[in-house]
Amino acid sequence: MIIPRLREAGSAALRNCRQSKTGHLVSLAVIALAFLTVGLFLSLANNFRARAAELGRNAAIVFYLRADLPPVEREAIARQIRAAPLVAGAEIFEAEDARNRFLNDFPGLADVVVSLGRNPFPVSIEAALKNAAAPAEAVQALIARIRENPGVEDAVFNRKAADRIRALGRLAEALGFGFGGLLVAASIVVISGVIKLNVLARRDEIEILRLVGASNSYLRGPYLLEGLLLGIAGGAAALALTALAERLFSSFVGDALGPLGEIIAFGSLTALQSLGLVAAGGLAGIAGSASALARFTRI
Amino acid sequence: MIELVHVWKQYQPPAWALADVSLVVQRGELGFITGPSGSGKSTLLKILYREVLPTHGRIRINDVDIIRIPDSKIYSLRRSMGVVFQNFRLLPRRRVFENVAVALRVLGTPARDLKRKVFIALRMVHLHHRIWDFPAELSYGEQQRVAIARAVVNNPSILLADEPTGNLDPDLAAEIMGLFREIHRQGTTVLVCTHDRDLVRRFGGRVFTLQEGKLRGGGAG
Repeated sequence: MIIPRLREAGSAALRNCRQSKTGHLVSLAVIALAFLTVGLFLSLANNFRARAAELGRNAAIVFYLRADLPPVEREAIARQIRAAPLVAGAEIFEAEDARNRFLNDFPGLADVVVSLGRNPFPVSIEAALKNAAAPAEAVQALIARIRENPGVEDAVFNRKAADRIRALGRLAEALGFGFGGLLVAASIVVISGVIKLNVLARRDEIEILRLVGASNSYLRGPYLLEGLLLGIAGGAAALALTALAERLFSSFVGDALGPLGEIIAFGSLTALQSLGLVAAGGLAGIAGSASALARFTRI
Repeated sequence: MIELVHVWKQYQPPAWALADVSLVVQRGELGFITGPSGSGKSTLLKILYREVLPTHGRIRINDVDIIRIPDSKIYSLRRSMGVVFQNFRLLPRRRVFENVAVALRVLGTPARDLKRKVFIALRMVHLHHRIWDFPAELSYGEQQRVAIARAVVNNPSILLADEPTGNLDPDLAAEIMGLFREIHRQGTTVLVCTHDRDLVRRFGGRVFTLQEGKLRGGGAG
């Protein structure tokens, strides 16, 4: 009995969609826009998270040394670093090595480096940590101890960068849910309006169905299903548009951003996120329908 | 059985649409409610199918106090009765078959039973050959017969008709009344509202006369 009723409600819902195409297209566009916003921010956050994880995995402390420091002293500092229990290993990078590595990582900036006429990169010691998630206090204590050497000019712990990028990811997510949430609320209002118009246009038909003994659930079914279909279609459209935006961005904008393109990019949505986006579209559709029907208490 | 006890209905004070109406229609009985326009006939029928609630009084249908039925459960009352209206109230964009089938669809009748029952109902009103037509393609008399088929397709114990011949010429009216008599002979309680006293006289049955909301004849018992 449930399947024939669902089939019947489904065909009634599709008939409704066919009969008021403009209203349904507007609803679809608003839902798609709302969930596209959520999708894009989620995708941005995914990339931030991936970059942060990558940086976190390679957590290292870089100690910059004075250019005139004799090799013997450099080696002594490296030994002191290697002796620390937190450290897995430490390697000395000559100025030339650092320059070559930069040119390799950022070929687009080669002209800038060459135009300087001298090598701007200092000698450094890179200390890899045994545990990327080592307590910050212990890491800071090690940095402070090594910096007591007069030959050490500066120290940079790149986990801070990872933490900052991770925070950016959280911000992007929050913005996505914030803006997206507002747009989703707007789409619920639009769906509600479209369903309300449909209900009004079928007032006579609903009245007749009531007179022949239709229950409230029988009368509401097609309209709820209509909202659900509309929401799912909107969510699916948003998903497709998000994937398209990811591709277009990497093809047309990503390169123009240079090194920043690595960070400001869209990471593909996970299967769970994609499913969630479509499901949330469906829920928004049902919410819109339910709010429209709630005002018509007699059906 | 339909039983009304001291039923009053007021839409706008000070006038009363129904004033202290008490009547009983026995199971399987054919009854007519007559009276001039505005005498309260339609209100009485609307109260019976719970379109409106009475201001005072008690109404029992098949031993159920219908006033106590919550709004969300009114459908259960309506499934036990068929209702026919003066203006037919058909679905203009659905074919004859769908117009009749709708009363079975709301009950969740399986497709095979549904087709058989719709065909039987339409054959009873002699419209089985117009099954795929739209209401607009039928005459008024035929449209009313479709409405009657819809009202009886799920074998209700009670059939209510509100001025079912109001839009029809005398011959068609007689034909429709003949159908009601036929339905009554099959054991259905039939209650017809009409202002046409001649028609009532020709078809017999119990007559309740309303005048300015008051029952003037044929009341309780």
